Amino acid sequence: MLKDKIEKHLLEVQKPSRYIGGEVGSIIKDKSKVDVRFAFCFPDTYDIGMSHLGMKILYSLTNERENYWCERCFAPGLDFEEIMRANDIPLYALESLDPIKDFDFIGFTMQYELSYTNVLNMLDLAGIPIFAKDRTEELTQIVVAGGPCVCNPEPLADFFDLFILGEGEEVNLELMDLYHEMKQQGAKRIDFLRRAAQIQGIYVPQFYHFSYNEDGTISGVTTTDGAPQTVKKRIIKDMDSVYYPDNFVVPFTEIVHDRVSVEVLRGCIRGCRFCQAGFIYRPFREKSTDTICKETKALCENTGYDEVSLASLSTSDHSDIDPMLTRLIDYTVGERVNLSLPSLRVDNFSEALLNKIKKVRKSGLTFAAEGGTQRLRDVINKNVSEEEIMNTCRIAFEGGYSTVKLYFMMGLPTETDEDIVGIADLAQRIVDLFYSIEDRPKGRGVQVSVSCATFVPKPFTPFQFEPQDTREMIEHKQKLLLDSVKTKKVKVSYHDPNVSMLEVILAKGDRRLCQSIYTAWKKGCKFDSWEEHYKFDKWLEAFAECGIDPSFYANRRFEYDEILPWDHLDYYVTKEFLIRENKTARMSVTTPHCRLKCSACGVSKEIGGPCFAKSKSDI
Amino acid sequence: MQRVRAIFEKKGRAKYISHLDLNRCMLRTFRRSRLPIWYTEGFNPHPYYSFALALSLGFESSCEILDFNITDDNMSMEEIRDKLNAVMPEGMSIVSVAEQKLKITAIAKAEYSFSLVSDDVQGLYDAVQQLLAQPEINIEKKTKKGIKTVDIKPDMEVLTCEKTDDSVDMRMYLPAGTQTNYNPTLFFEALSRTTDVAFTPEKILRTGILCENNEIFS
Repeated sequence: MLKDKIEKHLLEVQKPSRYIGGEVGSIIKDKSKVDVRFAFCFPDTYDIGMSHLGMKILYSLTNERENYWCERCFAPGLDFEEIMRANDIPLYALESLDPIKDFDFIGFTMQYELSYTNVLNMLDLAGIPIFAKDRTEELTQIVVAGGPCVCNPEPLADFFDLFILGEGEEVNLELMDLYHEMKQQGAKRIDFLRRAAQIQGIYVPQFYHFSYNEDGTISGVTTTDGAPQTVKKRIIKDMDSVYYPDNFVVPFTEIVHDRVSVEVLRGCIRGCRFCQAGFIYRPFREKSTDTICKETKALCENTGYDEVSLASLSTSDHSDIDPMLTRLIDYTVGERVNLSLPSLRVDNFSEALLNKIKKVRKSGLTFAAEGGTQRLRDVINKNVSEEEIMNTCRIAFEGGYSTVKLYFMMGLPTETDEDIVGIADLAQRIVDLFYSIEDRPKGRGVQVSVSCATFVPKPFTPFQFEPQDTREMIEHKQKLLLDSVKTKKVKVSYHDPNVSMLEVILAKGDRRLCQSIYTAWKKGCKFDSWEEHYKFDKWLEAFAECGIDPSFYANRRFEYDEILPWDHLDYYVTKEFLIRENKTARMSVTTPHCRLKCSACGVSKEIGGPCFAKSKSDI
Repeated sequence: MQRVRAIFEKKGRAKYISHLDLNRCMLRTFRRSRLPIWYTEGFNPHPYYSFALALSLGFESSCEILDFNITDDNMSMEEIRDKLNAVMPEGMSIVSVAEQKLKITAIAKAEYSFSLVSDDVQGLYDAVQQLLAQPEINIEKKTKKGIKTVDIKPDMEVLTCEKTDDSVDMRMYLPAGTQTNYNPTLFFEALSRTTDVAFTPEKILRTGILCENNEIFS
């Protein structure tokens, strides 16, 4: 039995409870009564994957169906991988401890580009052919992927049988139903893929064929096997009736987000031009306060967690935020549960609520200012003004805080040296503000942390056309920033530009990159998002061997009239809108958020009416 | 307020829950049970509970001790046990619940059983006998102050030592509690230093927590 084989070596590895299942809340079924088995794979370690909310939702949702069994699977740590390879332990799922190669579906969630090599590694560990073309003709072992990265799945096209675009709550079951039906009929893999391609939201890459111009850009995409010319993503219409789990798997070992997570809304009204999530998750839809409170209570009681956090892109944009937080705080205080409120803007709350929040908020103060000057913040449509930052800092300092964290991006479109110096100036003004306040916290100085990421242009954003700064440009800007900081009270940290470069290549690449990813993995690349495992030189070797010029993807401006690798996928926002936004950005003009004014991004046409009722647009 | 002592098993897959993780796990188990457990009254109130002895990762036990307080004086011990058992993780279950009688400091020793699996059972058995016949069994023990050599022989009490088809099975008392704590792995290390016979310790099980006079701690 595989279990005995695993247990024989389990005490030799770090945090063994990650590899053996048996957690409270995990769902065990009698496999003789199960028709379709789904291995939900997260291409990173347990500690990270178990924190992922989407997996929790789809895991419970699938398992509600008596004859379908969804199990979890994660990338093993390097220590355990070595043992697995040495002892012929194939990658297995945590509920049944059965090898995932025997499953009907092997589904990956693609949350970030730097996990692509882990997918290959996991398929290899499982004993599943890495390339879709090498898999059996029989109807089994369908390798699928969903998640934000599949909005441009092309760099992964050769490895997957199909991609699921958009939200999975409905389409996953439709796909499994189709599989179940066709399995009973004795259909082949190819028959299933042909039928699956007809379901809205399902993209079967092998039915799409690219041709290229001499300059390397795409000249056209044709389809075969009756697949539609464009594939449209799926969304859930009503957030109050959509399935949400009333229980989570509660891990033994500590995970990154070790708490109950309640989704309060999907989508975002803000339209920050660099933010992929802000566009691909449109339209904005929220859950009612009643639903949120009901789900919070059920999850706290069933899991035993003593901490809840609200999940969304911008919680304060919930239309009922004040009463909602009041009710949640009353519940959590009564039950001795901690409520954590990430992505919260504190500017427009009532005094009474602010006092309540102060009681539950222990974490530090964080601002995503993103740009160092107002001009640049207007370019990226980040509607946060220096006045707002200063006001909130003042309130926080007066309330006893003495540390502030600021997030910025470097290498944004139109950015100049002035904008970089602006970052240091802004941090300095916060330091000055602290010392100008009479009742500032005594005894300790102020600490302003400035964290600088390198801008990565992403598909389906107005900046999808933009090149990324070259490494030389970024290094110049990093040095300039360090030189501009004149005090030790401001601490600067920044990302490795080599990591951001790979990120943009994989984000904006086409299917000619598949071979490079395979080659990089062959050369030992995996866990690329882990600094200690990142091997940029191996990636460069892989690109060179495969005849790929990384700067073609990273540092080249994609033209408005160019066929982009993701143009045949429809995420509701139109390319015309993205071009319009790109032009508006270049004029440093902002676009009001969706509640203020509809910007005709294309979503309302898809959902058959305005995203917000008229009355709300007057707010 | 009732001062409660629960005896629980930790077996099967639950043996991979580390002591640190067990703390978190128990907190969530209490919360799921909705038992009226007493909270500390400090600045940051938290449920008060404690484990009498830590159990090494990978060991099983039939006798772990968990102390806590219940604010409802009318709640029966059976009800407390049942409410916890309804929400315990796989491999863990409450065997019994009773009022706390003795102080934790009364714990003096623990009983362990284990199998030393080997291809050469006779050779291993002889090696064990030889080791046990020595006047001293010195091992190097890591302490906070560094490594020191201790003789575990005087405090070690072998109860049984039997051959099976593929192993040497033993039961022994080892000191446990607030003063001295010896882990069976110390014995395994001493054994592997005295013999070339390869063996793997398996099924390490703590079967009893006892007072100085060999009475079960309760």
